[in-house]
Amino acid sequence: MTDDSTPTDRDAQTADVPAHWNHTRRMTDGGQPAEQGRDGVLIGNQADEEAVLDRGPFERWASKAIKNPERAYKSMFYTATIFFLLTTLFPFYWLLMVALTPEGRQQDIILTPNGFNPGAFIEVFEVLPFHWYMFNSFVIATASTIIVLVIGSLAGYAFGRLNFRGKLPLMLLVLVISFFPPAAFFIPLNDLFNTSFFALEPITGDGTLYNTPGAMVLPLSAIFMPLAIFILTTFYAQIPDGLEDAARVEGTTRLGALFRVIIPLSAPGVATAGVLTFIAVYNEFFFSFLMTDGQPENWAPLLEGILGYQGQYEVLYHLMAASSIIGVIPVAILVIVAQEKIVSGLTAGALKE
Amino acid sequence: MATDTDPDGGIFGDESETERDRTGNPVVNWMENLSEAAYAYLLLLPAAALLSLIAFYPLIMTFVMSLQEDRTRGLEPLGGFVGVENYVNILTGNARLARQFMDVTLSGSFPFIEFGVPILQQALFVTLGFAVISVFFETVIGFGQAYVLDQDFRGRRWVRVAIILPWAVPIVIQGMIFFLLFQPEVGFGSDFMQWLGVFGADPLADSQDSFIIVLVADIWKSAAFMALLILAGLQSVDRSLYDVARVAGASPLQRFKMITLPLVLPALLVAMLFRTMDAMRVYGLIESTAGCTTVPSLTCLVVEAMFGGTRIYGTAAAVAFMTALVIGLIISVYVFFFRDTQGGLT
Repeated sequence: MTDDSTPTDRDAQTADVPAHWNHTRRMTDGGQPAEQGRDGVLIGNQADEEAVLDRGPFERWASKAIKNPERAYKSMFYTATIFFLLTTLFPFYWLLMVALTPEGRQQDIILTPNGFNPGAFIEVFEVLPFHWYMFNSFVIATASTIIVLVIGSLAGYAFGRLNFRGKLPLMLLVLVISFFPPAAFFIPLNDLFNTSFFALEPITGDGTLYNTPGAMVLPLSAIFMPLAIFILTTFYAQIPDGLEDAARVEGTTRLGALFRVIIPLSAPGVATAGVLTFIAVYNEFFFSFLMTDGQPENWAPLLEGILGYQGQYEVLYHLMAASSIIGVIPVAILVIVAQEKIVSGLTAGALKE
Repeated sequence: MATDTDPDGGIFGDESETERDRTGNPVVNWMENLSEAAYAYLLLLPAAALLSLIAFYPLIMTFVMSLQEDRTRGLEPLGGFVGVENYVNILTGNARLARQFMDVTLSGSFPFIEFGVPILQQALFVTLGFAVISVFFETVIGFGQAYVLDQDFRGRRWVRVAIILPWAVPIVIQGMIFFLLFQPEVGFGSDFMQWLGVFGADPLADSQDSFIIVLVADIWKSAAFMALLILAGLQSVDRSLYDVARVAGASPLQRFKMITLPLVLPALLVAMLFRTMDAMRVYGLIESTAGCTTVPSLTCLVVEAMFGGTRIYGTAAAVAFMTALVIGLIISVYVFFFRDTQGGLT
């Protein structure tokens, strides 16, 4: 741009510049009309001269930022990204450092461990049968996921593809359940699961559901089913009618059409609902904590294992940290593998409402 | 019959008749002949059965139990019908609980209410305060995270994984992380906060300090959930609107206020509603960090009343039902105030 500023020259300059130049100029000074845009040019020139004076690097950066706000936004954006990454990931990193520090030296760990003891990750399995707790959690989460997917598929098909009276009230009723606190269900359920049923005796020994996977799978399936129903309803409703009709004309039964046409075509939706249910059950605290006596042979899940290192006589901080890291690994893998599904599932489930 | 192939019934009637015989299964035959509505109800039956057993029946039972007397001796866990006595005891702070639901008396002078015990030892206010503060910060931070994830940059996939990760952490591990961080023997969190002058000598035994710890832990985990839902809202905004605004000379702040916020608002409200419900149910996080005596939430009270050894089942049921009522009340407030926005969503 020109350095001498006789009015005629400047006018000529403004007239000469191509349209996109005007466009950017306007953006930087907040869309002022062209008349004041010239002042903007002047300010820009002054800033240039000041930069030439070569003050500190910060002033130089600031003057550049004033001239070109996009640059400032970009650095703000990177600052925010790094801030969020640090705050979300630091606790995991710190946990690893605590786990790697030998027992009894856990004071003042911030960035590096006090010593190096990867043996904690083996000790975890020796002090308590942690693998057993993890196995229990996997069985409970898998069983709940299967129940939720089968029953939720039937309900999702009815809500998504069939017309019947009372559809909307029934959907709202399902939604309301996911709002109620588990505490409101818990007391009668605790009674129920401690009641002996003759029919259950061959399976559970004393005929009660307490201390069996059933005591966790049943309530957890019910609590996380509404979300799955909403996700599946959304996906099933999107399958064109023609495909189902074709299968029916070919002689498939009604249930056959659901399991051989609708569900395979909605595989991404089913996977989404499955992943979300698995994570939710694996992470659940309330019923998992209260429906067993905490013994691994009585199907106590992961959380009893992690809390178990808080012994009567000594508290094994490094093992608490190590077991927590091991417990996070399965869900971390799920998040990495299925992040798209998690995002779409949460969105569909929440926005369906 | 009113199956999906109904319009063709006249032509294919005979064929489908033979096909039905071919299945040779009376149950399948019966199912094929149901009307559409009857078939729908049949499909909903398993879900209805499970939900009735686990949700509706217990909810009604909880209400019935809450109207019965606590009986601390003898075989029977519950005494006779006492009406709303349990509720009155809870609301006036006279329940036989270690921590009260609420303990407030009206007084003549400003501020017109008096707290029988410190406000952070009353479950209702602890839970409400926790819900309001945590949801506020989660919304703000979640918005920031969603804004970052909405931009295009290299490595976005991995940044997204990192930001979702806390959401996927089991509650007990979340609790364990923050327990260790603020446990004076291990973590530096308490030292740091004491250096700032915020925390007292033993933070995990102090109601106020522990309340802050639980808040921070919850915000760390749940901001990610908010971020995901808000991100969905952000990504549905038509990008050309921003171009129009840019050409018209709107500043970034104006663009945010006039385009982003109104369009994201429905998703934001739904996300806030979900989080509020969740925050009102807080239990596991408290149990695995500070403990229920230090930070009593509503769910904490129910569990304490059940297993505290005092056998006050009637009171426990009353607290449980009150919790459900409080949550129901909050849902209605949300729905009432934001029904127009929500209507615009669907």
